Amino acid sequence: MSIRSTVARATFPWSAPTWPGGIERPPAKRTLGVDYETAWARRYGARLARVVVTETMTRPLAHLLAAPKVDGLDRLEQLDEPVIFAANHASHIDTPLLLSVLPDRWRHRTVVAAGADYFFDRRWKAAFFAFVINAIPIERRRVDRKSAGHAASLLNDGWSLLIFPEGGRTPDGWGQGHQPGAAWLAVRTNRTVVPIYVEGTRRVLPRHGSRVHLATTRVSFGSPIRPDPGSDARDLAVRIEKTLEVLADEQQSDWWTARRRAAAGRTPALTGPVGAKWRRSWALTSGNRTGRGATKTTDPPWPRL
Amino acid sequence: MKALLFERSLPKFAAARVASGWRSGSGARVGPLRLADVEEPELPDSTWHRVRPQLSGICGSDLATIDGRSSRYFEPLVSFPFIPGHEVVGRLDDDARVVLEPVLRCAARGIDPPCPSCAEGRTNLCRNVAFGHLKPGLQTGFCEPTGGGWGGALVAHESQLHRVPDAMSDRAAVMVEPAACALHGALLGAGRSCVGHETAVIIGAGTLGLCTAAAVSRRRPDIETLVVVAKHQEQRRLARELADCTVVEPAELARAVRRRTGSLMLDSGQLTGGASLVFDCVGSSQSLQSALSVVEPGGTIVMLGMPGEVKVDLTGLWQREVTVTGAYAYGVERLGPDETAGARRTFDLSFELVADAGLERLVSALYPLDRYREAIEHAADAGHRGATKVAFDLRRRGPRRSSKEIPA
Amino acid sequence: MPRPGFVLEVDRSTPATLCWHGEGFRLLKLPEGSRILYPPEPVAALKDPDEAIRHALLHPAGDTAPLPALLKPGMKLTIAFDDISLPLPPMERPDNRQRVIEAVLDMAAEAGVDDVVLICALALHRRMTPAELRHALGDRIYDAFAPHGLLKQHDAENPAELVHLGLTDHGEDVEISRRAAESDLLVYVNINLVAMDGGHKSVATGLASYKSLRHHHNVRTMQHSRSFMDQTRSELHSSNWRMGRLIAASGVKIFQIETTLNTDTFPPAFGFLQKREWEWGAKDRASYLAVSKSLDRTPDRLARTIFQSIKAPHKMASVQAGEVEAVHALTTEHVYRQQLVEVDGQSDVVIFGLPYICPYNVNSIMNPILVMCLGLGYFFNLYRGKPLVRPGGVVILSHPTPWAFNTIHHPSYIDFFEEVLADTTDPIEIEKTYEERFATDDWYRHLYRTSYAYHGVHPFYMWYWGAHAMDHAGGVIIVGGDAKAVRRMGFKRASTMRDALEMAEDVVGRDPSITHFHCPPMMIADVH
Repeated sequence: MSIRSTVARATFPWSAPTWPGGIERPPAKRTLGVDYETAWARRYGARLARVVVTETMTRPLAHLLAAPKVDGLDRLEQLDEPVIFAANHASHIDTPLLLSVLPDRWRHRTVVAAGADYFFDRRWKAAFFAFVINAIPIERRRVDRKSAGHAASLLNDGWSLLIFPEGGRTPDGWGQGHQPGAAWLAVRTNRTVVPIYVEGTRRVLPRHGSRVHLATTRVSFGSPIRPDPGSDARDLAVRIEKTLEVLADEQQSDWWTARRRAAAGRTPALTGPVGAKWRRSWALTSGNRTGRGATKTTDPPWPRL
Repeated sequence: MKALLFERSLPKFAAARVASGWRSGSGARVGPLRLADVEEPELPDSTWHRVRPQLSGICGSDLATIDGRSSRYFEPLVSFPFIPGHEVVGRLDDDARVVLEPVLRCAARGIDPPCPSCAEGRTNLCRNVAFGHLKPGLQTGFCEPTGGGWGGALVAHESQLHRVPDAMSDRAAVMVEPAACALHGALLGAGRSCVGHETAVIIGAGTLGLCTAAAVSRRRPDIETLVVVAKHQEQRRLARELADCTVVEPAELARAVRRRTGSLMLDSGQLTGGASLVFDCVGSSQSLQSALSVVEPGGTIVMLGMPGEVKVDLTGLWQREVTVTGAYAYGVERLGPDETAGARRTFDLSFELVADAGLERLVSALYPLDRYREAIEHAADAGHRGATKVAFDLRRRGPRRSSKEIPA
Repeated sequence: MPRPGFVLEVDRSTPATLCWHGEGFRLLKLPEGSRILYPPEPVAALKDPDEAIRHALLHPAGDTAPLPALLKPGMKLTIAFDDISLPLPPMERPDNRQRVIEAVLDMAAEAGVDDVVLICALALHRRMTPAELRHALGDRIYDAFAPHGLLKQHDAENPAELVHLGLTDHGEDVEISRRAAESDLLVYVNINLVAMDGGHKSVATGLASYKSLRHHHNVRTMQHSRSFMDQTRSELHSSNWRMGRLIAASGVKIFQIETTLNTDTFPPAFGFLQKREWEWGAKDRASYLAVSKSLDRTPDRLARTIFQSIKAPHKMASVQAGEVEAVHALTTEHVYRQQLVEVDGQSDVVIFGLPYICPYNVNSIMNPILVMCLGLGYFFNLYRGKPLVRPGGVVILSHPTPWAFNTIHHPSYIDFFEEVLADTTDPIEIEKTYEERFATDDWYRHLYRTSYAYHGVHPFYMWYWGAHAMDHAGGVIIVGGDAKAVRRMGFKRASTMRDALEMAEDVVGRDPSITHFHCPPMMIADVH
């Protein structure tokens, strides 16, 4: 008798029992999405392993692909951990890049808020991200009591948090409006928010892109924002968004110009012009005619026979 | 008498199979077929007659047997050692010319009452081909006691004999048996469908394919468009002569059918519509597969060529509810509802077809018995060498032989 | 100062002349007294093409306002452009289309025009692949439009996207793209490689449907276009002009932008291909030998890939914008200035060495039907006045003419070759018996709309393209062609040029006059 038929013929108890017809089944336990339990990834063994992975693989790889130029780290010197890092989001490369440019005292003590629907929808994906980038699941579009509460308790336990307030990667290159989660957490835990503006990761790997290109990127750390006692989460969210805009302006022009424009209320919005889709895309690339050279493309010019 | 004898010998059988893998027809050199001097077969009783073959054709099933490629299915249906040859025109003792209808059914086997198939006249489906007073044997030419066409004499039951009209030459008469096979296949379902505007495809343009083309274009008015797949130049020429049809090369088939039926084509080459009837006159895996890819949903594939073991993906057959039906030999035919005359014997129709279509042109070469190796190799390579039917010429001396029938 | 084209009379000291032969070329020793037509050298390119484009848009020709004045917020703007069939070979980046459309879009963005759609005016040609569109339009345009579905390709088989504008006074249907017809402004961006391109033909053909095209893409029109490189004597153009005027009268506002190219056709590595043989230096001779010897040993497929990857260095030579007819008059002048070569009298025998490319096999295979079309359709018709070959003379084509088809691009060509040409090669008979069935075949329609296939009727047009030449010439010989394929098309095959010339003598008599058309680079024979 072959192994296959042996397995096929195996009955209980050699195989799993079937459920009797008349007995009601208890509801299935949800263990994925926001319900995924990540505590194991913060135990000592997992942390040690992650330090090795981060230092030997994630960091070198991020530096190779994205070649980051970092500024504004001096603004973090007076801070005491834990803090909330709030960054704009354009690419999957953002998280490994940011983790590898964070100063040492935060690098291995930071959890990453990752979309529960995308990163935690399969068991192997959830385990992978929880381990490699220390991800925790979070609802993207609203403040979910469970996931936000969990993040808050981690902040109180001394873990810093990296969060992308836009709730997802930009579809067209322009920024998106902020979700209230980051501000809500800051108010709830009374921790400082550090805004970060990342530029250029879309060139490395855009959303829906299938190939990674080598490119240089810039990461600017902004002045920390401490929530005023008793302040409202919505006000704080607006402040974070504004600070990011000024930071972006500073990166594009210079600090003084950005300051003056901020004072005059003329800081360019990160969300781009209002109008037809093509005009948003057009405005994003104006003054950039790199497309004129022969960009190397590997698409075959015609379908292979 | 001299005869080609096919004996049961496993080593020779294996050798033939190996040799034919290199070159088809080479089974004749190493296989179990040999030229021997044997006793003439005896007449079992007064209803049997002695027939002296004049011309005796080489059929595809003979070649498969000689090359050791025929299915083991036949093993219990033949009796060794037999003399092959079932496409026979011969002379009786009174010098009358006859064509042999080789199926050894109930009547020849002395079984009375006959089996239900024989009772209906569908003698090709006789259920007793291995029983009765004869040894097993589907047909004369696979049965030890009757002898066969590739020998000096054979015995045949009176029900097996058809008189040849005087006007018909020997060459024409030897085509009657293969043409009857083709007719039987071509007429399958003729009574059922009278819709018209149908497209039919014939795959293969050897003897069977060409005869089928001739039969379809003469006996199937319901078929509007006929596409014949022919590999070789000479076959294409003959197909055009014999039938009102479009002749295409194998690689062009799917596109040609697609154009004529206005269907679409999937990336795999499978048509979404296709021909309502496909006659597979080859019987190989490739021919059946291409038949499946060009037959319309709910259509029919008629397998005229002997298939043997084939490997075919039948998913399309299942998904498109395709009917695959065999067409073996001949019996009686019903010619559709309009011809109320009812059933006619296939052989009677075949005599008409051979004369009308001039099928004697398909006999390309005649060989004497002692050059049987050459003959069989020629038959196995007929397409390439521009030949169709190769036959043995067993006629003796001058006076009976007409001057134009010179052996090739 | 570029030298004009001229006619060389072969004498004892004339070196062998280069003759194209598909993916390769040969050196040809012609009998003494034969003539060789050499094309003019490339004219000077525009110094600052972007500035020239801007200038043209701001100072349009004919009765029209400058482009910025035509652009208003809230308007519907459509920009149509030529497809993959132009230019030949495809040009190095940036393509003319990219330069022009970028300038137009900059103005549209400044004016706050939101509703902009780009349409590739491919008529019944195959759709362009994303990589091809990116090459023609540049990354910036492609990335701004394609992801939003605003970069479209004309679909002549989608009734919802077509609109019937009426009949011309000759009873011709005019049916074009609905989006183009219903826009407040239609900007058409042309590359005028030869004198046939552009004018009213751009919109009336490029954005039309089969129903409309069949009025001028037919045997009668082609036989009455003498030639279609000369608008004044081309029935093809008369019909398009009638349609164009009807389109304008129906209220479709067209802003035409036409660009011409100089004939700098091959990159420096292949420089010898556009030099006169007696001026070949040691480097040219060495590269000729290296290239032709290695091509002899290259498999067909690889040779095809190598040649198809050639990007031509041709440069923009002029740009004009504005009202269609005024613009086109200027353009035609520029094309003639670059390409006309004066020739005295016709010849008994004309030799055309056919290159690896024609308008319909960019990134594809030049199948036998396209060989016929390139030789008898295009090269034969590159004349003004009279054909280069006398009536009843012999046309000799040089091309390997393999029995090979690209199954994705040319599905209906295979059927045309297997079924139609097996039956008859007479264009009139073919048009009468087969065109309708191929044009309305659902399968070709499906492939044209969703894959990258030419329309079912396209091989017919190729055959009609040669109708005038087949009618005019007394015989066609293909040197070095595949025997079966050449026979299927009803032509004669010769192994060598010497054999071909001897065979030609059977038709035109002993000691015929011979002319070799030394092309590409492109030229037009002005035959007196």
